[in-house]
Amino acid sequence: MTAPREIVRCVSVSKCYQTGARGEVWALRDFNLSCAEGELVCLLGPSGCGKTTLLRLVAGLEEPTGGEVRFEGGLSDGSNSNLGFISQEGDLLPWRTAIDNVALGLEIRGLPRRERHQRALAVIRRMRLPESVAGSYAHELSGGMRQRIALARAWCVHPALLLMDEPFGRLDEPTRHELQHELLDLWMANRGTILFVTHSLEEAVFLADRVVVMTFGAEVTTWRVPLAHPRDRYSPAFLDILRQVRRSLAGRASDATP
Amino acid sequence: MGRGQGEGSCSPCRRLLSKLGRGALLPLAVLLLWHVASKESAIVPSIPAVFEVLAHPLQEPASLDAIPLAQSAAISMVRVGVGFGLAVLTGVPLGLLVGRSVWASDVVSPSLGAAMVISPVAWMPVTILVFGLSSPATALYGDDSWQHGVLDQLRFAIIGVIWLGTLFPIVLNTASGARAVRQAHLEAVRVLGASRWQVLSKVVLPGAAPAILTGLRVAGGIAWRVIIAAEIFPGTRGGLGYVITTAQTQAAYEYAFASILVIGVIGLVLDGGLRLLAVPVGHWQPRER
Repeated sequence: MTAPREIVRCVSVSKCYQTGARGEVWALRDFNLSCAEGELVCLLGPSGCGKTTLLRLVAGLEEPTGGEVRFEGGLSDGSNSNLGFISQEGDLLPWRTAIDNVALGLEIRGLPRRERHQRALAVIRRMRLPESVAGSYAHELSGGMRQRIALARAWCVHPALLLMDEPFGRLDEPTRHELQHELLDLWMANRGTILFVTHSLEEAVFLADRVVVMTFGAEVTTWRVPLAHPRDRYSPAFLDILRQVRRSLAGRASDATP
Repeated sequence: MGRGQGEGSCSPCRRLLSKLGRGALLPLAVLLLWHVASKESAIVPSIPAVFEVLAHPLQEPASLDAIPLAQSAAISMVRVGVGFGLAVLTGVPLGLLVGRSVWASDVVSPSLGAAMVISPVAWMPVTILVFGLSSPATALYGDDSWQHGVLDQLRFAIIGVIWLGTLFPIVLNTASGARAVRQAHLEAVRVLGASRWQVLSKVVLPGAAPAILTGLRVAGGIAWRVIIAAEIFPGTRGGLGYVITTAQTQAAYEYAFASILVIGVIGLVLDGGLRLLAVPVGHWQPRER
């Protein structure tokens, strides 16, 4: 058996933001990460630790100050259309109906209207949304529905990599759990590669093959979660792993405090 | 019970009627005032005399160079249409550029601020200096231009004033709309592989559309007001502004009054049309009352 293909590779990546006249903030310093095809990796860490910056670099929305970000072997420079990006707000275009949002990627690729609507509708159904939402605008949808549509929009073009920036962070708990299941469903059926940013340890352990814990700008620890999907978040094994990771992080945090 | 239901089903149309009725109050008051004034004065034309003029829009009055009122109204509308159309074609792209490029904004914004406060009619001497009495007819047919009446009516100087008067509000509104397009929306489309042109056509333009339409409504009102003033300038033949000034010098006040009524009605229709245009574009936004 050959080793799985590498989709993302970050080699000593640094990113520095200029703030004001003299100030500079290092969001990332010498960060290394590798993501294999079909892997679901969660980046976990407190706000401001550089998780979002990393996703933006991988998406090619920004350039690294130092180091290299590679996507499917090539440099990530924004010219790549083979990826999906979902932010916390979903960022649906408010002047488009749900179905036209879902079909956006297909429209950019030049598919005729009929075909892209058929395919978009299939994905909407796949997300267990009623077909009636197809004609709705973002402001008419609930937060959970909006994120489902955003997920459908990203999924519709079958991206090689899905980048998710705290996509369920603003949802209530039952909706969040529902969407986590939907995501796993999609992922298990298609085995895409997912890089998922969250600040919820429970969410990370529930979703990820691998949890990469970040603290201000650098990778700290990587945890492999040795449980098969789908996971039962109330099983002793799950709770045990959660406890281990939490204890380890707490230990690290207390080590770090002078 | 039955009565209550009957009232309920009719209440929307009744509400509309009462709304229209309230809107008619002021015009009726003006008519009354006008009626009293015309009774007291020998110069103020009577209401029937003015409506007589309006009832025969194709009449060729000697006092107005034998140009029928309907033709004058049409001439004014064509002038506004051409000048305003040119302003839309040039102003919207320029506004998008200013809104999306810091460099372009730095170059244009200060001048735009100054240009906005200049009354459009103030450009008239400038456009007359530049264009003189030339028109598409003089450009195409030279000395025979007088034979091509319609083209000759489109004096470049008048069109230029309408263009300058409407350009700046269109650029300003388009730019502020384009500037307000959310970065997250631009990126959502870029990540899906959109080209620069696709980002412009699928995000910037629809995102700025409500602001652009606000600009068009403002500019449409300005164009219609400016044309009347611009047609007062010498060398102009035809147009509602021409009718008003000529009627005044010829003491044919019923034509001036009739022109004012026509201007009001056309302006109302123009604004209503631009407002209707805004409905499908702004449907995703909070409703304007």
